[in-house]
Amino acid sequence: MRKRFNWALWLGCILVFFLMIIGVAGPYLAPYDIDYQVKVRNEMVNGKQVIISPPLAPSGEHLLGTDKWGYDLLTKLLHGAPYTIFITLLIALLRLLIGAWIGLYIGILDKQQRWWIAIENAWGYMPIFIPVYFLLKGININPELPTFTLVLFFVVVVAVLGTPSVAASIRQKTEQIKESQYVLAATSLGAGRDQIIFRHILPHLKEHLVIVLVTEMIATMTLMGLLGIFGLFVGGTTMYYDPVEYHSTTHEWAGLLGTYRSFVYTNYTWIFLIPLAAYMLAIGSFSLLAKGLRDKFEQTYSRTPFI
Amino acid sequence: MTYVKQLIGMFFLVIVVCGGPFMLYTQEEEIVFEPGNIVVHTVYLIQQIAEGSLGTYYSGQTERSIAEDILPFAISSFELLFASVGVAVLASIIFGLLLQRFRIVRQFQKVLNLLATIPDFILIVVSIVGAVGFYKLTNIRIITLSPISDSESTWFPITLLSIGPTIFLMKVVSLKYVQIGGEDYIKTALAKGMGIWHVLIHHVYKNIKPFLIADLKKTIAITVANLFIVEYLLNVVGLTRFIFSKDGGYEFNAAVMGLLGIILLSILVYVLIRLILYVIERAVVYK
Repeated sequence: MRKRFNWALWLGCILVFFLMIIGVAGPYLAPYDIDYQVKVRNEMVNGKQVIISPPLAPSGEHLLGTDKWGYDLLTKLLHGAPYTIFITLLIALLRLLIGAWIGLYIGILDKQQRWWIAIENAWGYMPIFIPVYFLLKGININPELPTFTLVLFFVVVVAVLGTPSVAASIRQKTEQIKESQYVLAATSLGAGRDQIIFRHILPHLKEHLVIVLVTEMIATMTLMGLLGIFGLFVGGTTMYYDPVEYHSTTHEWAGLLGTYRSFVYTNYTWIFLIPLAAYMLAIGSFSLLAKGLRDKFEQTYSRTPFI
Repeated sequence: MTYVKQLIGMFFLVIVVCGGPFMLYTQEEEIVFEPGNIVVHTVYLIQQIAEGSLGTYYSGQTERSIAEDILPFAISSFELLFASVGVAVLASIIFGLLLQRFRIVRQFQKVLNLLATIPDFILIVVSIVGAVGFYKLTNIRIITLSPISDSESTWFPITLLSIGPTIFLMKVVSLKYVQIGGEDYIKTALAKGMGIWHVLIHHVYKNIKPFLIADLKKTIAITVANLFIVEYLLNVVGLTRFIFSKDGGYEFNAAVMGLLGIILLSILVYVLIRLILYVIERAVVYK
């Protein structure tokens, strides 16, 4: 069979690379300062005095327009990019490391660990954002802590709470591989537990681990978006009471999504659609990468149905 | 007995989860971790249950009794949940199994798989944007955001809620269809000249069913996760009203009752769907 060109993988790789660059260089590329605010002003247009007040629609001066309070959207997005991209990467990496460690060492045991499987089962049905919501609710709104601590807290909480599902899939794979002949051969030759894990099981899991990393990034991003809808933003929410408004302190993309959610119902839909587009770009590139990797690894196993 | 144990375990899990804001808060720029606070609130909650009331919650400025509101709220949440899971199961059996062999259905599934890469909540938000835009263009109203309006329509929230679980379950079923379709016993059955519908119902369906049942729980979990968003964004008055109040206040009793109610509802939905599947099976497969 001729190999088909894996466009998803290529496009995904390019887009993720592009995101990484934005993540590193974003704040330096921003056209305005993060505090720059467009003020209401009078201007002469065709001999008439016109009041120009934010929100300004996308134009040459503000490429993606400004929000209702006069802040440049492109600047906000570029300043938020490092948080969005590196927090998701960090959480996914932590989940993978802890999950792989637990999954490998529990999977290799001769006896099934009932207590761990009970945790996996119970946790599998819990939408993860509910415990995260309740844990963050008390500290994240009008925070007294510095942003860095809040981000760190978020990373640890989300990584730990998301670990059981990663561990579950790695445990299952480990249990399958453990039964194979070459592991038996290695054991009879006197290989120890660590030898089997690192020499015989991990090499088989390599591809699986890469896919888990990317899918966990997607899951983390989804979780951040969900929390954003409910007014909890990574790195802290500034809440105003009259009227009730939630603002993201880090300008992280999912947070901007939550901040500007109410603009769906106004005439200034772009204020919501632009963060949405950025967020979708990020999640879409990771999805493409995941799809490309999966296609690449699964090509060998496909079978054609008879009906 | 094990069921009772599980229920009690669930109650405590819900209490621990809902107690989050009391357990973990900041005071003078330090994170305070005090699990003891949960015990105080739980004792209070159990006292109130023992007195025969479920406590009160604030809706805006008015204090309302939870016991009075929980039933109508639960009914509207149940309608949403049950209808959406029902749509998901039905659609995945029809399109993932029975009509899968038609090319056009497979194309349709490819589109759905593409949609599946977008998180469900984004799909919901985008649908709302679309509905608002549609109204501006054509003056035809398909969403109502006011919970007390006359033209209350439940089909829009149900449609939005069923997107996520349908995509998930249909993917599971059609994946298994492709796997099972490649098995030798299917080849044998076809070689013997059995009709395609016979093979689909008696060979493919019976082998897919365990996976369908196993993933039904996950499907309901996905639906519940989306229920929070749909009810919150579309202003549907349901059980999640107890958990996420829009003005930012947090009430322990209401949150516990809301979460417990949702878990009980999802168990009820699971049992009902199993029952319906059983009845259909008796009528169609094992007549």
